[in-house]
Amino acid sequence: MPADEKNIDLLEGVAEHSLSHWQKAWIRFKRHPFARWAGTVLIFLYLMAIFADFVGPYPEAKSFRKYQFMQPTAIHFKTEDGRWTRPYVCKVERKRNLKTFKLEFNEDCSQHYPIYFIVHGYPYKLFGLIPADIHLFGGPWVTEEKAHIFLWGTDDFGRDLFSRIWFGGRISLSIGIFAVIIALFLGITLGGISGYFAGEKMHLIRGFLHWPSRAEIAEKGAAAFRGMFANSALARGWRNAVYEGQTLWYLLSLPLQYAFWGLAIWILAITMKGFLAVSSGFELAFAMVLFGAALAYMFWAAIFGEVAIDVDDIIMRTTEILAAIPGLFLLIILSGILAKYDLPSSTRFMMVLSILAFVSWGGLARNIRGFILQLREMEYAQAAKALGAGNWRILFRHLLPGVMGYLIVVVSLSLPGYILAESGLSFLGLGIQDPSSSWGLLLSKAQQGGMSALRQRPWLLFFPGFFIFVSILAYNYLGDALRDALDPRAEH
Amino acid sequence: MTAYIVRRLIHLIPTFLGATFLAFLIIQLAPGDFVTRLELDPSYNHQQIENLRRLFGLDQPFTVQYAKWLSGFMKGYLGVSLSYQTDVWQVLKPRLLNSLVLVSLSIIFIYVVSIPIGVYSALRQYSLADRVLTTLAFFGLAIPNFFFALLMLYFALWLKDVFGHEIFPIGGMRSLYIDGVDFFSAPKWRQWLDILWHAILPVIVSGTSGTAGLTRVMRTQMLETKMQDFVRTARAKGLSERVVVYKHILRNAIIPIVASIGFLLPELFGGAGLVEVVMGWPGLTPMMLEALFSIDVYIIMGSIGVSVILLMIGNLLSDLLLAWVDPRIRYS
Repeated sequence: MPADEKNIDLLEGVAEHSLSHWQKAWIRFKRHPFARWAGTVLIFLYLMAIFADFVGPYPEAKSFRKYQFMQPTAIHFKTEDGRWTRPYVCKVERKRNLKTFKLEFNEDCSQHYPIYFIVHGYPYKLFGLIPADIHLFGGPWVTEEKAHIFLWGTDDFGRDLFSRIWFGGRISLSIGIFAVIIALFLGITLGGISGYFAGEKMHLIRGFLHWPSRAEIAEKGAAAFRGMFANSALARGWRNAVYEGQTLWYLLSLPLQYAFWGLAIWILAITMKGFLAVSSGFELAFAMVLFGAALAYMFWAAIFGEVAIDVDDIIMRTTEILAAIPGLFLLIILSGILAKYDLPSSTRFMMVLSILAFVSWGGLARNIRGFILQLREMEYAQAAKALGAGNWRILFRHLLPGVMGYLIVVVSLSLPGYILAESGLSFLGLGIQDPSSSWGLLLSKAQQGGMSALRQRPWLLFFPGFFIFVSILAYNYLGDALRDALDPRAEH
Repeated sequence: MTAYIVRRLIHLIPTFLGATFLAFLIIQLAPGDFVTRLELDPSYNHQQIENLRRLFGLDQPFTVQYAKWLSGFMKGYLGVSLSYQTDVWQVLKPRLLNSLVLVSLSIIFIYVVSIPIGVYSALRQYSLADRVLTTLAFFGLAIPNFFFALLMLYFALWLKDVFGHEIFPIGGMRSLYIDGVDFFSAPKWRQWLDILWHAILPVIVSGTSGTAGLTRVMRTQMLETKMQDFVRTARAKGLSERVVVYKHILRNAIIPIVASIGFLLPELFGGAGLVEVVMGWPGLTPMMLEALFSIDVYIIMGSIGVSVILLMIGNLLSDLLLAWVDPRIRYS
């Protein structure tokens, strides 16, 4: 059989079983050794967090002052005489040992409190809407407070750690997603604008008069001054706007420019006045020259000159500034200031996630800008322009979808960072605060009462820490698998 | 080259101004100023408080305060801390040095551990050891360092309970006494030894995620370089495997690793920060936290100003280093 005929057959075979880009990505994703495992763990964690009311026997803020820092309740499977029985717990009494003056917890097993599954307990609202009182495990003795079941011990207020872990999961696991959405929004919009409009100047101020150059005066004499307005930056801008048919936009932007410039001059003048009042000697002289020059330039620009900058420059300089401050310090001062205000917990949640997004959008914007700079030179972008599509349509409908694969990878790779940042902040007492619960906050209780407290109540260390670790690990694996799956170089 | 460095340095000025101004702006958002809490103190009367406000320029608009701070910073004067009642630099300097000890030891730790592991993993790709090390690297990346620090403290406490004396110190940076002698009157080398002993656990903790990350990068770099044509040529020439690996592959693979010091710096600053808090290492971050609670503006501004400069220099150095080790990169 001739070689080319065989090739044709082969091509047909390929065509019959051709898969879309996303289908191929899915196959590669499944091939990753830990991707499924990571996905399963995450789904489990999210489900537990969503149904925290049902899973945990106690409400989030239910505290038993008498049972501070209580160790995990022992679950018994055998009666005293060694027979297997339904798992039960015993009542635990707290007593101060009069010899050592230490608090001791003594188990009193004269009565058994059997554990039942799917039982009535404390009332709650499922999804915040549906009233319910079914819990995963417990018994009538839970609400009657005859005995307690603290599977993973209690914290400093005598609250059940097991329940609070799942309630905390709601915040710890969701704050990253919300923060990533906000950061994505900022990063896509600003990065997109930055990349697409790179090289185009935006005017901050246009002077309304033109000062003729020496050559012009020599040539035309006094007549050179007649065209002072007609040749000004303002008039030139207007002619350009008329040419491009954007006169309305131009008329709107003018008052904004003058207001902005006026404000800037005003702030500078106030600063100068105050600074001169409190300075003396060389500092005074230096400041007078510096401020004077700056003010003079600004006045001159408002009358005779023009100032235009690249939007791309502004946005990129902003990201550099954000990157120049060590991330932890920026996070700490932002949330430290926030911690000074007495905010309701839902507002605090919003603020913390806004802070996380604010600190992290810069890198995203820089990367997206890079992609857009590349994509806007592609033939299909030029074709769209030739067909008469507007700037925004080209940017959002043609260019940004090309960044999609990258965005998915970035989101999954950056999520663990947000979880880490939130737990770090809450750990320092600057993020989520009591009586709300988050894994970082729960972990911070482990060290309450000095270094040696760690050994006395290890459950406060291991359980919250374990969940932070596992969720970050799972997201890392997931991100790794997604990167492998969506990497265009892996196509063949 | 000189022109490039000068241009880069000039470029740093607006970034520095922007970063410090942003930090100043954020601190201004706090309710009240640091004199506010003195209003509740009966030993201060109204007049004294007003005087203090004027003294620190707190009655001026905040742009003036910023300009004043900046002017002082240029002259090397960082202002006065109200909490410590002394010059900010006096408070900042020892803290900064302590943090730098931790950060530089961590950098050494990271490079010393991750490069050999990365090379080994790449040379024995998919072997059992490689799999174990790669998994460990994943774990190292995932473990939050404040949790890891707590685990290490727990470990140190456990060792103490088992052996009856401290194998590793439980937090802190120096012992009160060395062999019965007060720390500061002990010989210098004993002091340094004591600090190094205290630094073991914090360095391991703050270096872990960096080590894990760098191991992965090193491994990938080695694997990529191994496939290059010049390696095949080297083998074809009949060079020994040792020469091929160490003179051809490693030398080329290590380029981005060497240059990544600058990018490690910010992460280490942040990462070491939480470790300092947990392990009681008297570095910058614990001081920042204290200063935040009392809105000690100039302490906060001083540490941010200094660390911004350190970071910018670190980045510049790593760019220069990259250009130096890799002639393919041109200055632009």
